[in-house]
Amino acid sequence: MSEFEPKIVAFLCNWCTYVAADAAGVSRFVQKPNVRVIRVNCSGMVDPSYIVKAFVSGADGVLVGGCWPGDCHYVAGNIKAMRRAPLLKKLLRELGVEELRFRLKWIAASEPSQFAKTVNEMTEEIRKLGPFKRKKKSAKRSAA
Amino acid sequence: MNRGDRQKKKLAVYTATGCRACEQGILDLNYEVNELGRFADPVFWPYVLGTPWEALPGDVDVALFAGAIRTAADREAALSLREKSQLLVAVGACAAFGGLPGLANLADSAAPAEAAPTMDAPDDGKPAVPALEPEAMCLSQVVPVDYFVPGCPPTQNLLWAAVLALVCRGESPSRLSYAAARLPEPIAEAIASGVLPPRGTIFAGEKAVCGSCSRVKEEKKFGTCKRPYEAYQETGRCLLEQGLVCQGVATQEGCGGLCTGVGVPCRGCFGKAPAIFDPGAKMVAAISSTFDSAKAEEIAGLVDGFVDLAGTLYRYSVPAQCSLLAAPAATPDQGCDRCRG
Repeated sequence: MSEFEPKIVAFLCNWCTYVAADAAGVSRFVQKPNVRVIRVNCSGMVDPSYIVKAFVSGADGVLVGGCWPGDCHYVAGNIKAMRRAPLLKKLLRELGVEELRFRLKWIAASEPSQFAKTVNEMTEEIRKLGPFKRKKKSAKRSAA
Repeated sequence: MNRGDRQKKKLAVYTATGCRACEQGILDLNYEVNELGRFADPVFWPYVLGTPWEALPGDVDVALFAGAIRTAADREAALSLREKSQLLVAVGACAAFGGLPGLANLADSAAPAEAAPTMDAPDDGKPAVPALEPEAMCLSQVVPVDYFVPGCPPTQNLLWAAVLALVCRGESPSRLSYAAARLPEPIAEAIASGVLPPRGTIFAGEKAVCGSCSRVKEEKKFGTCKRPYEAYQETGRCLLEQGLVCQGVATQEGCGGLCTGVGVPCRGCFGKAPAIFDPGAKMVAAISSTFDSAKAEEIAGLVDGFVDLAGTLYRYSVPAQCSLLAAPAATPDQGCDRCRG
């Protein structure tokens, strides 16, 4: 029986984390192959709808990668991402998405090892959680 | 005025799990209710006429269905009205999106452990409640629905426009133009040219409530989350900017900004605006992007101020529009040919 392989959707900022992901490959860091990368111009353009849609479409985890605060190519896009994450996390938790499944991470272009480490950690944590299932009603049809 | 009874449309009105405010809304059409009597014969209206189920004829022209599907009795009513009606219209937020009864889906268990005694309970204190469905649903998740009239309850003008367009079809051109004047252009054009609007039409506007809200929008900065009684000042300024969770950004327009006009934040009773994927996620974006802070601890503090986020942002739409919880809509089958009729 094959082990559960989590699907992780990663929205990576074009200027930092995407470059780090590229460099992680070039530097031959060992990485789990569970991440599907979507390149975006800035972590600040990742609307919470994208993240919700990723889960709805079958992702087991979502990673948003951006530049460190102060390093944003567009001055403050990553601050916007930082403002959104806690409220979105709260909503996701209420809708039955475990906290570890969504992560916002700052990874600079010069930190490819950090990217590999994040991917590996996240894959293992989500593997432990199991596949993402939509919250289901536990109640059966009760006869009155 | 002497139209034969055979020309009158047969109208059925029913509320499943709901507060019946939608049926009140129909009565609240004032003098128009009398007009309605000229065009339609209410053959089945338990709330107003006490019609029993046995009296439901097999050839209803238009059925106005309000209320969510929460019990086995609701499901039977939906199936029965679908089978016997040419046009099935979901009236109100409950029938259209699940409404307030749909909030039950946020709870861990849909069924209460024990039925609470009610006033009309038999002696043993256990009323005969119909079996609960595993989750609350909107009408279109049980049977195919032809039209939607959202709102809690639907606003008079849209409800009357929908009734005119669907019930009084072809009866009087001047009435149709009245209905058309109250609807978005594509729907209005369909009605004016004497055909039914496309199946699945929602009788509401095309944009978000902000589009018709009269308040002044300045720079958005969201401070602490406030409840309406704490914050409302008669400034005419955007309510979201004043720290109220106003959901106009994510909600379909059509109401004309009734609530926001008097300082009450939009609660989202018209459902999500067409361009939006998930109303809760959109509201999270609208609120949190403008948090007035760039420090993680302060933001965490602001987030703590929000109570029952899912219940607030999906207040009327958990069963149908909360994409992480929603069940798929019923597949269009037998209803399709009938409604073209």
